[in-house]
Amino acid sequence: MEQTAQGRDLDPLLHDMSGIALLYVEDEKDARDMVGKMLVMNYPNLKLYSAENGAVGLELYREHCPDIVMTDINMPVMDGIRMSREIKSINHEAPIVAITAHSDTSYLLNAIEIGIHHYVLKPINYDELFGVIDRILQQIMLKRLVGEQNRRIRESERQLAGAQRIAHLGSWQWVLFDGSMSWSDELFRICGLEPSTIPASHQAFLDRIHPQDREYIRKSLQEAMDNRHPVGVHFCRIVRPDGSIRVLRIEAEVMLDGKGEPESVIGTSHDVTELKRSEEKIRSLTDELERRVIQRTSLLQSTIKELESFSYVVSHDLRAPVARLEGFCRALIEDGGDCPNFICRGYAERAEEVVRQIKRIIDAFNDLGHYSRCRLVIEEIDLSVVVRGISDRLSRSMPERVVEFVVEDNLVVNGDARLLRIAMEQLLGNAWKFTAKKAGARIEFGCSVQSGILVYFVRDNGAGFNMKYVEKLFKPFQTIHSPGEYNWNGTAIGLATVHSIILRHGGRIWAEGEVDKGATFYFTLEKNPESGTLLENNEKNNSL
Amino acid sequence: MEDRYVLLIEDNADDAFLAKRVIGKVFSDKIILARDGEEASDLLKKMAGDATHKRIRLVLLDLKLPKISGIEVLQTIRTTPVLRDLPVVVLTSSDNDLDQERCKELGILDYLYKPLTADSLQRLFNPNKDA
Repeated sequence: MEQTAQGRDLDPLLHDMSGIALLYVEDEKDARDMVGKMLVMNYPNLKLYSAENGAVGLELYREHCPDIVMTDINMPVMDGIRMSREIKSINHEAPIVAITAHSDTSYLLNAIEIGIHHYVLKPINYDELFGVIDRILQQIMLKRLVGEQNRRIRESERQLAGAQRIAHLGSWQWVLFDGSMSWSDELFRICGLEPSTIPASHQAFLDRIHPQDREYIRKSLQEAMDNRHPVGVHFCRIVRPDGSIRVLRIEAEVMLDGKGEPESVIGTSHDVTELKRSEEKIRSLTDELERRVIQRTSLLQSTIKELESFSYVVSHDLRAPVARLEGFCRALIEDGGDCPNFICRGYAERAEEVVRQIKRIIDAFNDLGHYSRCRLVIEEIDLSVVVRGISDRLSRSMPERVVEFVVEDNLVVNGDARLLRIAMEQLLGNAWKFTAKKAGARIEFGCSVQSGILVYFVRDNGAGFNMKYVEKLFKPFQTIHSPGEYNWNGTAIGLATVHSIILRHGGRIWAEGEVDKGATFYFTLEKNPESGTLLENNEKNNSL
Repeated sequence: MEDRYVLLIEDNADDAFLAKRVIGKVFSDKIILARDGEEASDLLKKMAGDATHKRIRLVLLDLKLPKISGIEVLQTIRTTPVLRDLPVVVLTSSDNDLDQERCKELGILDYLYKPLTADSLQRLFNPNKDA
């Protein structure tokens, strides 16, 4: 316990006296100063107003409304009794302490009549005075505390009501022994009623519920009570007096008494009508979306079918006339040898070469379609071994060429062995081809980690390419080298094939190059090929 | 020795012309042309009837034929006892795996791509020549 300057124990209630004011009225200056000093010493946080007579005291009271009035009785201008009467007329509850030398009953009766409940006799015994003031202070503090609590309760009630109103969430309590029920204001409003306009009861609650849902809710509440388990979440419709229907989400709990017997059910009723409407809307939008997806898909499918039939025409139907053309070219070359115009044979030979070119394109076109549609057989493949096999074969094919192959070991991937071999053959074949004119040719295969992803690469120091053509690299039938350059007579489909194969493996492929410095082809492979990235990449790179 | 025949079953006039030209370079046989599957089937039945089928050295069969397809003609040949052993070479311009498989099941001498060349025809009868 805290102690005052006087060494008295201070009630914990009186710890915080800030804001409490005391008006002291006394006509004798010495007494006023002395008592005033003692008060300030004993109650350091007390705000003290002093006055020399009742009139001045009343003036100060009017101005500051102090919490306690302490007054002498016999004073000039206006005595303590008259001032007290005036103060009481302003604030009936104002605590007034009379300090008086008079002990005669007429004064006392007068004082009691006015409502002065406290006396201290002159000469002042300070213990007695402080005892009186302490009691008054205790009452004031108690009143303040209660007032504060009430204010808080009112505030949280207001907040709760506001929250319920905003959330359209009503609450209720059903007391079992008398069947009475209390509803929050919002529950009334949810039911389409002004608060407290009908007697709240369990039956009234059930009556609001749509007839088709009523029995279900009644049963759910009863079962929860019988089994002492939470009511859980239930949806039901209620009918408002105007006939409109709202959807409620009801959630409740059974409260047990000390003996474990059900005492009451406390619950919430949430108006989820708008939510349900939104759900409906979302559902119908989803349906609409699905319908559109189906529509688009069937459109796409028919487009794909058309494309497939187109490629069938190219790869099958076109072959017959091309073969015919080839046959006639051969006939021309074989039978036209006696033609006096020597140049005819040359033309026939060139025409035959053109036909072969057409056949290569048809084959390439066919292969490209095949690689992007065929079934993948996924297995573990050591790409390093594959690459070494290809590099050995390339070296043997032209023993006169000196090319340094640098192959990183143990690059094991998951993929289709046949397709990945085709892709690697293409990439290494390109590197081989475009380093043909390079002294100290070097071809490298390896792997690095970029942003946590394994990136494989084939790098050469050959002819390279201008980065402004990089977009063209992976597109079928587009070239950046002139025919004849680097013995190139292909179909410009090699890198498109690689692209297609890498896409099938859920990966990405890109290239970097510089003219006469070399080219690097980077690619990634998905751990589980044909997972989602395939689609994504197909969308990004619609070059196929 | 009696004349031998090469039976060419081909609907396209150009292809028939080209094939005849090459056959003529390799064999001095008489070339009989059937222009669709029905005509070929009828002809084969007739030849089986008067036993002239024995003089057929080779059947060159296109697969894409009007009315009755080449595969059906091949089936007829393989299911007709007297014709069963006729050497048939399929001549096609498309590489349909299913067709090729079916033909091999039924039994063919070879599956050749158009245009027919003298080399490939000679190789059929002298397989070791170029080996």
